[in-house]
Amino acid sequence: MSLTRTLNIGKSALATHQAAIQATGNNIANAGNADYTRQTAQTAPSRDHQIRPGVFVGTGVNLTGIQRHIDEALEGRIRGSISDNEGAATTEQWISRVESTLNELSEDDLSTQLSTFFNSWSNLANKPQDVGYRQVVVQNGEMVASSLKDLRGQLSSLRADVDGRLTAQVDDADRLAKQIAHLNREIVLSEGGSAGQANGLRDQRDAAMKQLSQLIDVRAVEQKNGTLNVYVGSDPLVINGDSRGLTIRNETIDGVVTPVVAYKHDNGNVRLTSGQIGALTAVRQRIGGYVDKVDEISGNIIFELNKIHSAGQGIEGFAAVSATNVVTDSTVALNDDRSGVPFKATNGSFVVHVKDKTTGLVTSTLIEVDLDGLNADDTTLDDLVARMDNIGGLSAINASGLLKLSADSTGVELSFSQDSSGVLAALGVNSFYSGRDATDIALSPAIKGNPNLLAAAKNGEKGDNQTALAIAALESAKLPSLGGASLKERYQSFVNEIAIAAADAKTDAEASAVVKETLLAQREALSGVSLDEEAINLIRQQRAFQGASRLIAAVDELMQQILALV
Amino acid sequence: MAILSTQLARVSNQLRTSVSQSAISRTQRSLLEVQNELITGKRINAPSDDPGDAAIVQQLRKTLEQRAAYLGNVKQAGSHLGEVDATLGDLTDLLQQAQDIASANVGSDVTAEQRKSAAAVVDNIYSQVLSLANKQFEGMYLFAGDRLTDPPFVSEGGGVKFVGSTNTLSNACDENSVRPFMVNGERVFGALSTRVEGTANITPSVSAATRLVDLAGVSGNGIRLGAMNLSNGGASALVDLSQADTVGDVMDAINAAGVGGITASLSARGLVLTGGGGDDITVTDVGGGTTASDLGILRAVGAGAGLPLNGADTQPKVTNFTPLAALNSGAGIDLTSGITIQNGQQSATIDFAGATTVQDMLNRINNYGTHVRAEINASGTGINLLNPTQGTNLSIAENGGTTAADLGVRSFGPASALSELNLGKGVRMADGADLTITRSDGTSFQIDVNGAITVQDVIDAINTADAGGGVTASFSTTGNGIVLTDTSGGAGTLVVAPANYSEAAKDLGLLKPSVGAVLAGDDVNPVKAGGVFSNLSTLLAALHGSDQQAITDAAAGLKANLTNLTTVRGETGARVQELESRQNRLEDENLATQSLLSNLQEVDMTEAISRFQTLQTALQASMMTTSRIMNLSLLDFLS
Repeated sequence: MSLTRTLNIGKSALATHQAAIQATGNNIANAGNADYTRQTAQTAPSRDHQIRPGVFVGTGVNLTGIQRHIDEALEGRIRGSISDNEGAATTEQWISRVESTLNELSEDDLSTQLSTFFNSWSNLANKPQDVGYRQVVVQNGEMVASSLKDLRGQLSSLRADVDGRLTAQVDDADRLAKQIAHLNREIVLSEGGSAGQANGLRDQRDAAMKQLSQLIDVRAVEQKNGTLNVYVGSDPLVINGDSRGLTIRNETIDGVVTPVVAYKHDNGNVRLTSGQIGALTAVRQRIGGYVDKVDEISGNIIFELNKIHSAGQGIEGFAAVSATNVVTDSTVALNDDRSGVPFKATNGSFVVHVKDKTTGLVTSTLIEVDLDGLNADDTTLDDLVARMDNIGGLSAINASGLLKLSADSTGVELSFSQDSSGVLAALGVNSFYSGRDATDIALSPAIKGNPNLLAAAKNGEKGDNQTALAIAALESAKLPSLGGASLKERYQSFVNEIAIAAADAKTDAEASAVVKETLLAQREALSGVSLDEEAINLIRQQRAFQGASRLIAAVDELMQQILALV
Repeated sequence: MAILSTQLARVSNQLRTSVSQSAISRTQRSLLEVQNELITGKRINAPSDDPGDAAIVQQLRKTLEQRAAYLGNVKQAGSHLGEVDATLGDLTDLLQQAQDIASANVGSDVTAEQRKSAAAVVDNIYSQVLSLANKQFEGMYLFAGDRLTDPPFVSEGGGVKFVGSTNTLSNACDENSVRPFMVNGERVFGALSTRVEGTANITPSVSAATRLVDLAGVSGNGIRLGAMNLSNGGASALVDLSQADTVGDVMDAINAAGVGGITASLSARGLVLTGGGGDDITVTDVGGGTTASDLGILRAVGAGAGLPLNGADTQPKVTNFTPLAALNSGAGIDLTSGITIQNGQQSATIDFAGATTVQDMLNRINNYGTHVRAEINASGTGINLLNPTQGTNLSIAENGGTTAADLGVRSFGPASALSELNLGKGVRMADGADLTITRSDGTSFQIDVNGAITVQDVIDAINTADAGGGVTASFSTTGNGIVLTDTSGGAGTLVVAPANYSEAAKDLGLLKPSVGAVLAGDDVNPVKAGGVFSNLSTLLAALHGSDQQAITDAAAGLKANLTNLTTVRGETGARVQELESRQNRLEDENLATQSLLSNLQEVDMTEAISRFQTLQTALQASMMTTSRIMNLSLLDFLS
C-alpha cells in the first residue's frame, strides 16, 4: 500500500468524473435537439491490488465508455411509423386539394351546373321556339363544358405539382442515402471496426435515417462493423459505404408521361409503399384515375347527348354543315380504331332531309351505315361521302378527314333524323358538343353561332320538343356505356370516391400520428434528455470530483508529513 | 392523442414540450372545425366531412334541383292550359251566341231582312272565333300543336284551312310522367274531321334494305332485338341480332352463322330459311327474347331434314322510303293513271309516273295546290288524304285506271254505303218504286232501291231490272258517279225520273240529262270538313240566302260543336286541376326533402356550441398546464 497508489486513485476519480461531467454537459447542451440520444458515462472500479496474500484493495475508478441510451428496435419502429405518418399526411394534403378543386356541396359546383344545364333543356321543352330559352341552353352547355375542362385542367396541374414535388423529394432522398453511405464510412473509420464509439456520427446518421424514412419506408440493418445497411422492401439502397442512388425515370403509360422512382445504379423500379414519396406516387396514380373519370364522364356527356341531338332538328336547317371529328383513314370502317373516330358508331342507319324552303317539301333519304363486320362491306367515310353526295340537292365531300355537307342552292336546307347508328354523333355532325373528352369539350361552333340550330325537335316540326325532352331525361338515363349507371350517378360516385379517399386519408393521418407520437414518447423516455436528471447527475459528479480532489489533498498532506519526517 | 404509458421510466424535457405542443395544436384544429361549423351553420362543408351523409346530401340536392325543373314545367303547363281554358270559355260563349241566333232565325215570322242583319252579327262572331283560334300565349299559338310558330288557321279558298299540327307538346311533370300541356286544335275546332282514310291495305313487301323498325312484326309489337339460336339438328349457333338495323343485316347474320347449309332469303313479306338436304332447321329465342318469334321464324321443333322454314308475315309498314313497286306485297299500284282530286274550287289530276317511293307520291299530292294533305296512316298499312279546309267539299276519283282504288282513297265508289251519301244524309227513298228509267226506245222500267245497301246494289238492281233491255248501269272509271249507258238505239233520250215522289234519283246523282246515250251521274259522296268554321259559314250563307233548312242544319252542327267543346273544356279543366294538385304535391315533397336536408347538413347549434365550450376549456387547461410545467426546473432551486 503506497500513498502514490492512493494518489492515483484520486487521479483516476478526477479524470473519470471530469469525463462524466463532460457527458452531462453534452446532454445539457443537446437538450433541445430532438435527434440527440442521451449519453451517460460508464464507470467501473479499477482492478484490485493485492496488498497481502488474500487481501485486495481497490485502485480507483475507470471510465469504461460513454453509453448512448438507444433502443435500436424501437428506432426501427419509429422510422416505420414516420414513413406511415408522413405518407398518410401527404396523401391527406393532396387528396384534400383534389376535393377542394371539385368544390362540391357549394352552390356553383359541377353537379349543380349539370342539373342547371339539363333543366334548361326541360325548360326549353316548354317553349321550343323561344330564342331566349335556346340561348340559356347554349350558355349552360358552355358553362358545363368549361367547368369540365377546368376541372380536368386543375386535376392535371395538381398532377404536375405532384410530379414536381416527387422530383424534389427523390433528389432529397438520394442526397440522404448518399449522406448515410458517407457516414457509414466515417463511423467505420472512427470506430475502427468496434461498435459503439462514434456517438455524434451515429446521431447524425440516425437523424439522416429519420429524414429518409419521412420520404421512403426504409428498413435498416446494423452490421458488426458499425455500418448501417438500408433496404427499401428487400432491395438494398445503401450497402456499407455505397448508395445505389435514387432517380426519376419518365415512362409513357397510356399516353401520359409518368415519373417512376428508380435506382440510379440499374434503373430498376423502387417498390414503394409509404413515406412521402410512396404517397406521392400513389396520389399521382389516383389523380390520374380521377382525370380518367372526368374524361369518361365528359366523353359520355359528349357522345350520349350528341347521339340524341344529331338526330334532332333546330328551327332552321343547315345550308352547310361540317363534322367536328377528323377521320384519319377514310378507307376503313367507321368503327375501326384505325379510322381515328373517337366514338364508336354501330350498325344502323340515319335519314337526311333536304327541304325546299319555298314549297316546304321535304325529300328524305335513308342512309345505311353497315358496321356489322359481315360481308366485308362495312361503311367507311368514303362510302358515306359517296352515298350522301348521291342525294339530290346536296354535296358531300371529305375535307381532310372531315365530312362536309352543303346544300346545292340557297333554296334548300339540310337536316337529319332517326340516327340509329350514332354515326352522326361519332363524326360530330349536327352535334351539340365537339371534342372527345374533357381536354377539348366545347360547344359546337355551329350552335354557338346560331342557337336556332339547337335541336329541340325530333319530327321535323319547328315547334316540336321531343329532342329537348329526351336530352332533359339524359342526366338520369341508365347508359350501357357507363355499365348501366346514369351520368348523374357516375358523377356522384366520382365525388363520393374522392370524399371517401379524403376522409380515409384524414383518419389514416390522425391514426398514424398517434402511433408515431406514442413511439416517440417511448423513445424520449429512454433517449431524451431530462434537465432535472442532468442537474442531479451534475451535482453528484461535482461532489465526486470534489471528493477526489479532497482525497488528493489528504494524500498530499500525508506525504508532506512523511516528508517532514525526513 | 398519443398513448403515453404511465410507466414511462423518465420524462425528458423534449417529451414535455412535444406532448404540450401536440395537445394544443390538436385542440386548436378541433376548435377551427367547430368554428367553421358555427360560422357556416353546416355540419358538412366538404363531402369528406362525412362521406356517407354527404352522398345522401348530394342526392337530395339533386332531387331538389330536378324538382325545381318539374315545378317550373308544371307551372308553365298550368298557365298554358289555364289560357286554353279561358279561350275555350270565350269560344263557348261565341258559339252559344251563334246557335241562339240560328234558333231565333228559323220560323216564318222572321223576315229575310232580319236574317240579313243577323248575318252581320254572325260575320262578326266568325272573325272573333278565327282570332280565338289563332290566339297566342307567350309567343306560342295555343292550338297549333308543334307548328306553334305560325297561326294554325288560315282563311283560304273560301274556307278556313288548318295548317297547324295535331301533335301536342308534352313535358315532364315528375320522374315518371310526361304530360301534354297543349290542346289539340283539331279537337276544338273539328279542323281535320274529314279525312279519306285509305281503305286498302297496301302493306309492302320486304327487301334487304327494309329497316327492322319499319316492321310491325308477327305480333304487331315491332321487332325486339336480341339473340336467337339457329340449329340444323346437329350443329347450332347463337345469332346475335342486337345490332341489326335492316332485314339484310338479319340475313347476313344468319348466313354468317354458317349452321350446316342454312341460308336466308326473302319471301314477299317474310324470311325464308333454306338448308341442305340434311338440315332440319330449328330457330329458338334465347333468354326470354322474342326476336325469332317477332321475325316469324320461330320453330322449336324441326319439321324434318331438307325442309325450308317459310317465315310468317313480318307485317312491313308503309314508310316514306318504301318503293312504290313494293306496295301491295310487291304487286305495286297503278302509277300511270293517277287520281283526280276536287277540293272546293281546286281540281287536279295527279299521276305518279316517275315516282319511285311513297315519299315521292305524298310530296306530289301535297305539292299540287289542292290543299289536300296526304300522309301515311298511323299503323303504316295505307295512306290517308286529309281535307284541312273547313267548308269545302273534297272528292277523290279515278282517272281511268285503278290508282285511287289501289290506294283505297276513292271517296265515292261502288262499295260506298247509301246511308253515307250526301254528307251523311243518305238516300231518301219512297214506298214502292223510286226511279223510272225511260230508254231511248221509249220503254221504261222502275227500280225500287229499298233494301239496297251499297251503290253496287243499286247498279245491280238496274242491270237486273233491264236485263237484255239495253240500259246497263256501271260505276264511272273517270270521275265518280253511276253511269247509265243506253244501247237500245231508239230515237228518244235516256231519262231518269223520280217515281212515287221519291228523292232517290236526286240523291243518287242520277237526276240529270243524258248526253247521247250516256247518263253520267253526279258525285254524291264528297267529304267535307265539318267543324266550327264550316258550320258558321253555312249559317252565314243561309242567313244571307234566308235558307231555313240550312239554318237548321247549321244550328244542329253548332250544337254538336258546343257539346264537343264542353267535353274538351271538361278535360282541360281536369288537367288544370291535376296540375294544381301535382304542384301542391311537389311543393310538399320539396318541404319534406328540405327538412331532411337540413337535418343532415345543418349543424346542431346547441351541440356545436357546447363542443366549442368544451374545447375552449381544454385549450385553456393545456396552455395553463404547459406554462406551469415549462417553468418547473430543478435548476431554479439550486443555488
